[in-house]
Amino acid sequence: MKNHNLKFHIVGIILAIFFLLPFYWIVISLTKNSGQLYQGTFFFGIPSHFIDNIIGVFAYKNGVFVNWIGNSFLYAGVGSLAGTFFAALAGFAFRRYQFVGKKILFIIILGFSMVPGFATTLPLFIVFKNLDWLNTYWSIIVPSVVNIFGVYLMVIYWNQIPEEIFDAARIDGAGDAFLFFRIGLPNLLPGFTTLLLLSFVGIWNNYFLPLVMLSSSDKMPLVLGITTILSLQGFPVYNLTIMGAFLTALPLLILFFAFQRFLVPQLTGAIK
Amino acid sequence: MNIKRKIFLSAKAYLFLAPFLIFFILVIAYPVVLGVYLSFFGQRGARMWYVGGENYLSVLTDPNFWSGFDIPIFLLLVQVPLMLFISIFIALLYEQIKHSQVYRLIFYLPYAIPGIIAGIVWSYIFSKSMSPFIPLLSFFGIHNVNFLNLSTLIWILLIIILWEWTGYTALIIYSTLLSIPREYAEAAKIDGANNMQIAFYIKIPLLMNTVLILFIFNAIGALQVFNEPWMLGALVTLPPNYTPAMYIYNEAFYYGDFTYAIAMGLVLAGVIFSISFFFLRTASKQLQIHE
Repeated sequence: MKNHNLKFHIVGIILAIFFLLPFYWIVISLTKNSGQLYQGTFFFGIPSHFIDNIIGVFAYKNGVFVNWIGNSFLYAGVGSLAGTFFAALAGFAFRRYQFVGKKILFIIILGFSMVPGFATTLPLFIVFKNLDWLNTYWSIIVPSVVNIFGVYLMVIYWNQIPEEIFDAARIDGAGDAFLFFRIGLPNLLPGFTTLLLLSFVGIWNNYFLPLVMLSSSDKMPLVLGITTILSLQGFPVYNLTIMGAFLTALPLLILFFAFQRFLVPQLTGAIK
Repeated sequence: MNIKRKIFLSAKAYLFLAPFLIFFILVIAYPVVLGVYLSFFGQRGARMWYVGGENYLSVLTDPNFWSGFDIPIFLLLVQVPLMLFISIFIALLYEQIKHSQVYRLIFYLPYAIPGIIAGIVWSYIFSKSMSPFIPLLSFFGIHNVNFLNLSTLIWILLIIILWEWTGYTALIIYSTLLSIPREYAEAAKIDGANNMQIAFYIKIPLLMNTVLILFIFNAIGALQVFNEPWMLGALVTLPPNYTPAMYIYNEAFYYGDFTYAIAMGLVLAGVIFSISFFFLRTASKQLQIHE
């Protein structure tokens, strides 16, 4: 058994090297200027240009990087909070009520969740063009609020809360809003947190929507902004792009470590 | 239940559904309907005229559109099975190793990295100018390697996507493994089965439902692949129709053929929809639990 374990660890370590390689590469590259990057070594740049790269990123185009950071937090923060809350409300309706069109609505909602972003984003571009919303904050926030898959997950989460909890409160004469906010939400909190985090990450990472909707640099989120970093002559500036990419991923990595236990992926609630 | 009460309950339910439904209609349902409508028009700049099903006929016979499917099909036939295989292996590994949390965390870590950034970092790692492997290989006497060109790109893409999604997939499979009642394995052990047999005859068959859903999700992802090849395109000149999604984007925003791009998007949606039909059936069973 001991011997067996050693074999498993060898396999595990080989896989770990593969998964960690890009992280290692990005960390060493943070210390390099472009000359050092072109040398292509596996070691830190000597002398270190870490501080220069940070200054370089923040000084790029009069500090537009600060806008990108703010925008990313705005889009992902508002989008995930509102989206998760709306999904929780919708999930509650599916859990608690027998209403007209329940089944068909659920199927329609799930059906639309299978429509790829490309099929919705292009006509959405036209809709927003007519509303004069192109290149505004709304063009990113409003679509980010809709979390179709979140509704599905919320139905699963609500289904996991036992009926008795609601019954006890109802006998005491509690209304629907009370049931939702005071009885439901506290019990839903782990699922709510998971969905909040997942959608925060999802919106933070969404590249296609801002690519289509935004044209001015100061409205862009980090993930789009960093791909537009060019020198005055129009060439890519690899060391700044790498620093930008690192700073884009950093908040997600922090979230990831802080909320590990909530970030367990879930596919099918039915498996028991 | 009487009708009055049913209406009352429905009104309450729709009150709870309203915030979601309003935004859902504005940014998903209405645009899709509008998209379907627009797909029946031809377009040059701001001028539009009704053409009936002509766009769809063109899509179905457009070799540029269908040749873009080479990449998703490759991913579907090679990358997805490979990833599921490795993930099952890793999940079984998690079960065997004591304190597997460290591995679980490391393998899951790439999931926290945006696809765009994975694309940037991996493309730089394999690029001619920055790759640390090229000086390493030339140290061993192998010169003039070029990891990143149009013909190798598909393998780089495979590596990137494996890197991004394997840990996530393994974790889902692992949590399914944990949900298998322990008695099954114990009963088999009493009957004299070894770990290998338990894995192959008991655990893996019980995983199949999850694996099938994962396969469908990954198939959907493969058909829409955009971010990673898009970023690789910064270092390698790619044809505009490298993947269906890239073709749709380029057709709409570089060539300005918007209604045609919308028609292609809808055809792609149709392909995806038929694949996901199985998932929909499974998902709608969720509703019946409390009925």
